[in-house]
Amino acid sequence: MKRLFLVVGLLILVFGVVALPAAAQDAPEGTWLGTWPYSAPGTHNLNSFAAGGLNDNLGTVYRVFVELTPAYYMYASDEYFGLLAESWGFNDDATAYEYTIKEGAMWSDGNPVTSQDVVDTFSVGRILNWTQWTFLDSVEAVDERTVRFNFQEGGASRNAERLILKEYVVSSANYGDLAEQARQVVADGKTSDDAEWQALSTAIEEFRPESLIASGPYTYSLDDVGEAFMTLHWQPNSVFSSTVKFGDLKLWAGETEQTTPLVLSGELAHSTNVYPPATVESFAQAGIRLISISRGYGPVLLFNFTVPPFDNKLVRQAMAYAINRDQNALLTNGLGASGTVYMSGILDSLSPTLLDQSTLDALDHYPNDLDAAAAKMEEAGYTRNDAGKWVDADGNMISVEYTFPADFADFSAAARDATAQLNDFGFDITERALPWQEAANAIRISDFDLSVWSWGSASPFAYQNFNNPIRRWTVQLAEDQPGLKLDISNIEYEGQTYDLNDMILNVSNGLDTAEQHERADLIAKILNEGMYYIPLNEMLSVEPMNESSIGGVPADDDPIYKNPTGSDHPMIYLIFTGVLYPAGM
Amino acid sequence: MSAITTQPAQPQPQVDVQTPNVLDFLRRLWRNYYVKVFIQGLITIWAVTTFTFFMIRQMPGSPVEAKIDELMTRQAMTYEEAYRATATLFNFDPDRPLHLQYFDFLSGLVRGDLGDSITKGGVSVTSIILRYLPWTLFCVGMALVISFSLGIVMGLAMGYWRGSWFDNLITTISSIISGIPDYIMALLIILIFGVQLQWFRIGDVRGGVDPNITPGFTFEYIASVFKYALLPMLIYVLSSIGTWTLSMKSSTISTLGEDYITVAKARGLSQRRILTDYVGRNAMLPLVTRLAISVGFVVGGSVIIEEMFQYPGLGRNLYIAISGRDYTTMQGIFLVITAAVVFSNILADLAIGWLDPRVRLGKQEES
Repeated sequence: MKRLFLVVGLLILVFGVVALPAAAQDAPEGTWLGTWPYSAPGTHNLNSFAAGGLNDNLGTVYRVFVELTPAYYMYASDEYFGLLAESWGFNDDATAYEYTIKEGAMWSDGNPVTSQDVVDTFSVGRILNWTQWTFLDSVEAVDERTVRFNFQEGGASRNAERLILKEYVVSSANYGDLAEQARQVVADGKTSDDAEWQALSTAIEEFRPESLIASGPYTYSLDDVGEAFMTLHWQPNSVFSSTVKFGDLKLWAGETEQTTPLVLSGELAHSTNVYPPATVESFAQAGIRLISISRGYGPVLLFNFTVPPFDNKLVRQAMAYAINRDQNALLTNGLGASGTVYMSGILDSLSPTLLDQSTLDALDHYPNDLDAAAAKMEEAGYTRNDAGKWVDADGNMISVEYTFPADFADFSAAARDATAQLNDFGFDITERALPWQEAANAIRISDFDLSVWSWGSASPFAYQNFNNPIRRWTVQLAEDQPGLKLDISNIEYEGQTYDLNDMILNVSNGLDTAEQHERADLIAKILNEGMYYIPLNEMLSVEPMNESSIGGVPADDDPIYKNPTGSDHPMIYLIFTGVLYPAGM
Repeated sequence: MSAITTQPAQPQPQVDVQTPNVLDFLRRLWRNYYVKVFIQGLITIWAVTTFTFFMIRQMPGSPVEAKIDELMTRQAMTYEEAYRATATLFNFDPDRPLHLQYFDFLSGLVRGDLGDSITKGGVSVTSIILRYLPWTLFCVGMALVISFSLGIVMGLAMGYWRGSWFDNLITTISSIISGIPDYIMALLIILIFGVQLQWFRIGDVRGGVDPNITPGFTFEYIASVFKYALLPMLIYVLSSIGTWTLSMKSSTISTLGEDYITVAKARGLSQRRILTDYVGRNAMLPLVTRLAISVGFVVGGSVIIEEMFQYPGLGRNLYIAISGRDYTTMQGIFLVITAAVVFSNILADLAIGWLDPRVRLGKQEES
């Protein structure tokens, strides 16, 4: 009898040991109901580098669930959270950057994720002229799990770090051959002007992997892509397979118009789409929880600097005083926007981090003050006529057009309100609504007087924030596109001439935060004084989060909501770490 | 003895024998009405295609710029991220001279090759059209047949029994629904019956077919295709039936005033025979041309409705192509739409001739 108990006990132990890990690898239950405007079946492919591939189909929010990046950035703490990487950092003399892949990180095909996968990823990226290769000299495998990124002279920066840590790593099993060819092309001394380089670029674009090899906890095949939705299925081999709580991520196709009824009917739990204020209100009335995060941009009033009187700094300053930005924010996106406070060229949510307090205090915040605005106009040589309109010495009114994209509800609302406020102040502005592609093109080709587009960036660095809009619409254009017609390489400030283009390009260089602050402070002052564009407001992404489908949604003051939408969207962290789970679990 | 005299050789008179040659053959061919119409159709298609080729390339924003703007604005990407994600991915050289692009297009067209989509690397335009055209033909085509048939029958009855309660009721309803744009109707149906009353789950009517059903000639699959097409078809029918009904009513009333109807009544013919053989057939004639034009436009689908229901039709693809400035796909879809409109007009011409011998006679006299 005693032996029998012993045998049974042993059997239970053996089966327990064998069965427990298997049970731990069972797919979690429940489905995440999200949305993404992915490519329709037939035009959809599984190439990580091609149009119609993973980037188009999963976007900045969902791609990381199938192809991990080394890390994810936490805005509140200014720290990275490791996804594929367990450690990372610059070497002592900042000539290289290294990261080590987590032990146990595996692809969905059962092979380990190695440093060779990373080297291959960047080899392919080199042929595709990735930004990283503007500061990288080479990428090499130090050992099985450690990769070293060797910088070009002066290439080290926190921006470079971000671009390394935010790059999706692809599997050598799929891309190894192309990567080998890429290294050969580079070793042969070819450049992107050579036919061999271009042929390989085309080959990369045309490559069609038969299956997706995922490092993230989810994967999918082309059979999972439907007209109305696509489904990412849990897979057991990822380092995050045991922490995520959803068995499937179901992504409805479509944009705002298509997803609105799905949110209202409860068939869509979370959406990153931009909803107009009235729709947001209807979500709230339906009892759907709303979370607000920074969208990383807002509408900005842009000037054509060859159209008088916008070449006059005093007039631009007057306009900044004349527009009530809080009102503009409310009309732009209801409670999902706030009037710009600092007017520093950096989003208000980031200004205190990236600029010194003394600079923030020294900036003119351009409060809504019609008297101050009138004084600036008079200083610029304008007087009011009998109709209350500002006229120059020859009696000419400021009769211009304000171009805006009719199909972007937020931008058009911002532009129309700014028009109304400026007309009340004494301008003579006519609205000119265009389809968004034409409105953007009108700025490129300088076919506008005033226009609206975005400012700021969902990036924690000063460079990207300053870049948009002033470099984007002046130097980041084709040769025949004059854009704002502003010579940003010769900007006058306090009696000196500055190359603002060069200053912005270099503002985030290096690793010395104090130096970066100093450079950013000066740029902020130049932009603030010259009012080269008027940042009307900073928009929030008010996103529905239906708690009848999703449990564990953090409180509204949780630091994770400091993260903006985009590749550092809070949901990414919350799903990976298992904070969010199917309701009723 | 008679002397044989030799007559001097007389020049042979020229016999007016027509030697068949290519020019004569072509001239005769051109006189053939059907050939003439067909060739005119081809010329029209070429002209429209050429026009659209150049027009769409004049649209502001290249595919690359449109994609960068979209990624920066909608995905909150930085310029660098957006540029990198876009610039190297498109199979498109914006610097290639326009006339060379045109000759490339024409030479491809002659070979039946519409090229690859600019924004969907490695996907041919022909494959996009072949994949999505049948869905649009089925959904919009079926809806057109239903709305035309119902409209004809109801309009005929309304005209014949003018002033009846049926006439008043349907005239009122038709006037109202023909004034409501189809996308408003779709929105109302989704919000009232889907969101408020929850008669159906909105997600269950999106797409073309249940993705869990294996495609095949099975009852389950076909039923699913009909189920998913039901709402778009209902909206097409509702938005167009009013126009057919009112037009047919008007045409019927005008036909009823003709002498031959009075004669038919005087002859004591049955009401049914008068209604179908005399009134209906003649009243329908003006609507045939409109039907033909509508058939042509079926191919283009209804962009907004297909987008709202994520219906896998050509219209939705046209919308996506225009938004992304996918020149080659736009060009291919416009070509198909143009060809459909031109040839359906030709068919209408022939059908009118078949239905109305007077028209046929006129054409013969012309040629």
